[in-house]
Amino acid sequence: MKNIVTSCLGHVALALALLGAPHAYAGRTCEEAPLTALAVQQGILLAEHTAAKLDATGAKVVVLARAGQDLSKYGLRYSHLGLAYKDGEAWYVVHKLNQCGTDHASVYRQGLGQFFLDTPFDYVAGVVVLAPEVQDRLLPLLKDGVAVTRLHTPAYSMLAYPWATQYQQSNQWAIETLALAMEPTIRNRDKAQAWLKFKGYEPSQLSIPALTRLGARMTRANVSFDDHPNHLRYSGKIQTVTVDSVFAWLQAAELGSAPVAVR
Amino acid sequence: MTFQPLKSMVLGTALLLSAQASVHAAGASTQLSEASQLPLAMSVAAPALLLSGGVMLTVVSVQATAEGVQWVVERTVDGVRTVVRFAAKGAGLASVAVGTVITTTAMASGTLLSVAGQAIAFVPREVGKALLHTERLSD
Repeated sequence: MKNIVTSCLGHVALALALLGAPHAYAGRTCEEAPLTALAVQQGILLAEHTAAKLDATGAKVVVLARAGQDLSKYGLRYSHLGLAYKDGEAWYVVHKLNQCGTDHASVYRQGLGQFFLDTPFDYVAGVVVLAPEVQDRLLPLLKDGVAVTRLHTPAYSMLAYPWATQYQQSNQWAIETLALAMEPTIRNRDKAQAWLKFKGYEPSQLSIPALTRLGARMTRANVSFDDHPNHLRYSGKIQTVTVDSVFAWLQAAELGSAPVAVR
Repeated sequence: MTFQPLKSMVLGTALLLSAQASVHAAGASTQLSEASQLPLAMSVAAPALLLSGGVMLTVVSVQATAEGVQWVVERTVDGVRTVVRFAAKGAGLASVAVGTVITTTAMASGTLLSVAGQAIAFVPREVGKALLHTERLSD
């Protein structure tokens, strides 16, 4: 299990700068500022390159990730993933998005351009081509806008515990939905998580001190820890579903290829 | 008189705020994209004019429609005009008025319209229409 250590003191300078900024418990509001032309160009260019790369694989379904934030100090390359599929000549991504920093999230179907227009930290896409059987099982589910949301839980925490159902973060929804596709008898999230455990999925583990957890809980509506087991939470061990842990698992379980980066 | 309590309170607040920054950095980047508000042109009367890059266009009229907004734009270099219609009413579109100068940037999937470095809309080619598709599937 990957262990990621966060440092609170390292951010004091940033925190002092933030003292003058208003903070609402409800989380960040949606920013109204338009994107720069350069950001849109870069995002669309990456979408065009990714579409060409996906076409070249011959695949119909892949796992697609983006690097929204610099997580390198935690040993992570990507921050968010979705399930992408080809319909006709176009690629679409089905993924879960948190709404403006609230405690709520929804499932969206978007084009590749939308997926990369979020001013990411790095304009790079991570691609895992799923095994043919996984593709065959996922494709009809992804095309069905109702069925694909069957395991969606609107209550959102960005650090949701992987083996609880109180909240659900974006990457967690994706792998639980993959489980649903692979095992038709699955009817709920508990069963999906049992399948993931059976298949050997291991989440990342972040070391987050108590003060850090308190601060996050007080200032962000989209972060909760009460779904984590007490013995882990009180020792600062926060387990959650990360892109990198999913990519490693897919390859190890022979459910997908080695990840490929596209720029 | 001592300022120690105040200093402690400030430091405490600082640590809490730094904590939320740390946790946010560790969490997934899953915010709903503000770019989902980047409007797509619904129809263009003379697409060739807009699908060229590096063109300067001056807005000569702005008219609200039942669906959104309609512009008449004029190519600065030769006065050729065309009509662009949008179904949306995004913040970027609202900032465009008569006399606004728009710059076009050509890409494989369409043309980006920008004003003073800010993206305001995208005119997709056929291949680019799916790129900016967005559809909410759940509550």
